[in-house]
Amino acid sequence: MKLYNKKKKIHKPLFIKVIFSIFLLLSVGLSSSAFAQRNNPLEFDPRAPQAGGLIFRAQCATCHGADARGISTIDAPDLTLIWTRSETTDSSVFDIIQQGVSGSIMPPHGFPDTEIWMLVSYLRSVAVGGSVEAFEGNSNRGQQLFTENCSQCHRAQGFGGSLGPSLNSITSRRTQSSLKNSVRAPSSAISRRFKPIEIVTSAGESVTGILKGEDAFSIQIMDSYQQLRAFEKNGITNVRRDLPSLMPVFDQASLSDSELDDILSFLNLSR
Amino acid sequence: MKHARFFIRPLHLRSLHALVAGLCLLGLTEMSLAQDSSGPSYEEIAAGFADPTRWLTYSGDYSGKRHSPLTQITLENVKNLRPEWTFQTGTTTRGRGFETSPLVDNGVLYVTGSNNYAWAIDARSGRRFWQYRRNLPNDLTYGASAPVNRGFGMLGDQLFMATLDAHLLSFDRRSGDLLWDIELADYRQGYSATLAPLIVKDKVIVGISGGEYATRGFIDAFDPETGERLWRFNTIPGPGEPGSETWPDDPDILARGGGGTWMNGSYDPELNLIYWGVGNPNPDYYGDSRPGDNLYSNSLVALDADTGELRWHYQFTPHDLNDWDSNHMPVLADVDWHGEQRSVVMVGNRNGFFYVLDRITGELLLGTPFTATSWARELDDDGRPIVLNDGSEGCVPDPWGSTNFMPPSYYPELGLFYLTARETCATFVPEEPQLVPGQASFGGVIFIDEEPSYGALRALDIETGDLEWEFTYPSPTFGGVMTTASGLVFAGDHEGNFMAFNARTGENLWHYQTGSRIWGAAAVTHMLDGRQYVLIAAGTTLTAFALPE
Repeated sequence: MKLYNKKKKIHKPLFIKVIFSIFLLLSVGLSSSAFAQRNNPLEFDPRAPQAGGLIFRAQCATCHGADARGISTIDAPDLTLIWTRSETTDSSVFDIIQQGVSGSIMPPHGFPDTEIWMLVSYLRSVAVGGSVEAFEGNSNRGQQLFTENCSQCHRAQGFGGSLGPSLNSITSRRTQSSLKNSVRAPSSAISRRFKPIEIVTSAGESVTGILKGEDAFSIQIMDSYQQLRAFEKNGITNVRRDLPSLMPVFDQASLSDSELDDILSFLNLSR
Repeated sequence: MKHARFFIRPLHLRSLHALVAGLCLLGLTEMSLAQDSSGPSYEEIAAGFADPTRWLTYSGDYSGKRHSPLTQITLENVKNLRPEWTFQTGTTTRGRGFETSPLVDNGVLYVTGSNNYAWAIDARSGRRFWQYRRNLPNDLTYGASAPVNRGFGMLGDQLFMATLDAHLLSFDRRSGDLLWDIELADYRQGYSATLAPLIVKDKVIVGISGGEYATRGFIDAFDPETGERLWRFNTIPGPGEPGSETWPDDPDILARGGGGTWMNGSYDPELNLIYWGVGNPNPDYYGDSRPGDNLYSNSLVALDADTGELRWHYQFTPHDLNDWDSNHMPVLADVDWHGEQRSVVMVGNRNGFFYVLDRITGELLLGTPFTATSWARELDDDGRPIVLNDGSEGCVPDPWGSTNFMPPSYYPELGLFYLTARETCATFVPEEPQLVPGQASFGGVIFIDEEPSYGALRALDIETGDLEWEFTYPSPTFGGVMTTASGLVFAGDHEGNFMAFNARTGENLWHYQTGSRIWGAAAVTHMLDGRQYVLIAAGTTLTAFALPE
């Protein structure tokens, strides 16, 4: 150990450092795949997403699903959502495909660089689309409407409840029309992590909430008062799962189209 | 002289002195001295559960029943079972499992982990004697996507472990020192190895993983002293060999036909036959390039243990299109079969059928579904499945199958076979793959409908295949099963519960939340200081349970 410390104090002559630096610079310049932040050379090639899709289906779909939306039982993530994270770049996705994810079953892949870029292009093409249309509403009015109608259960811009999904940056993942549909008909598509459930305990208590977890012996829920509660199954007399969404239906009478536009404009502030 | 290595390590000497001292206090001096000298002989492994303090091979004995004669933990007291200690591995396999079956000898557990870690652990305290970690290459192929291991093989003072870069290692069991290291196959092509080596007489038997790549499966036998290969059985025949008529007449296709052998086999000492499951043909889902039955993929093979020669085979899934490897623990039993004494081998298969075969001749005695599979509901007179839906029409069991490699258990006195069933629903869309060495070639995509799926522990009457009882789990499960002669079934589920059931009725008697899905592992049990211990691996922990003193 002591020897090692001594060694560390020895300084390399300056000219060796300079030569080494030049060599490094050269190798970065010559090798397109090393070190630096890179752009996808196939970014504007319309054939790339299709070619990448073929590779994806052959090499990636067994874990990530044929639609790239992941398989939860093996912790394979939904790849259509990766672009909603601000730190995701073509280059970082390239690196993950090439190097794998340490500590997980995502292996490194020895594909040629071109094929990895094709995969990046494919993943770009299946990215969950945010809203691209202009937002017509008034975000100030929207904030007030959000506070009155939504914030009891949803969080946005740093305030609100937790019974429903957080709406922070939701417009970067969902189109305006799909968001409007979720407001007008909340039960038409309920996210997996927000399935409603009703439990009747052997003490006669009826509890409605969102299913958060379940095993053979217990159920974990967030009840409609947003309290986390867990129940032993042997203390439950009845469970109902075929319930509509806990979110109320907002029709034209309770929320007009223009008011809905105002709320979406407010939500778009956190994009 | 490999035995000399033991004396080099002062740390280990101290531990052993402590162990000996502990045993002296208990009045067990003679036994401890006797056991100090060496680990198990072949005869002791073949004696199975004769010594209740030991668990010497993957399933506890050669038969694969995973049925222990221990009875201290009973239907009445199992509710008091409590953890004695937890061992933390410090290495993860996110997305897969800690699949090991510890070997137990003289108060020491020999345990393999994910990413080719391995340990010797004090069975009393959970403290480790030594740790081994293999320096794995960065460009692992199949081994990267399944960085698991199912356990050691042990003979005398040697341990044997298969690795993710497709090597076979031998260790000194006392020090953890490496004795030899040989390559089974080139991992860069897609090969890997995850199973627990099977010791048969003076041979170490191993299989290989990698059927998702353009590889060719085999079963190998090695000399334990030198690591020299003694025989190889290729699961995909060579040109002109028997079975090659079930493939296109193309040596290239045969050379990469798949047929992995990645799960342990069982052994019948009287017949001197090894029973081993063979995996899927490659490409997995695309069959147009390999018309025919594709022997010996998706088969059970019975091999002469001395020569590796094929005695008989039975193919469960001819021309597989669904990745339903037949890599299961073959379970051997001598049973009263409708009034007649038969020597049988039983398999709960990934294709959703439960099979009973005569293990002397390979004759099919029973083949009947144990799940709601729509792939097939019956076999024809030749024992071939009458396929109703190959998966392209939707909703057949997913590629992980109706069960998988997680060990089942057989309870001889009850005539019941216990296995973990997976009820799933998938659609297979085959596509012709490009075959590149070192790249997976599944040959298509699968659409899995996760919504209606679930898992279950099922008890089957072996004479009929009828469901005696079941206990359902919220999601499809990979946990294995062990039974004990006190009428208990131990099983684990995907939500992390380790559980005990009444073997006759299926009543749940006890459960413990391990904190991580139990995947591929099944329980092991042994006596120590007069107490019965039960071990289970889950996530990054190995936990030992016992009744309060």
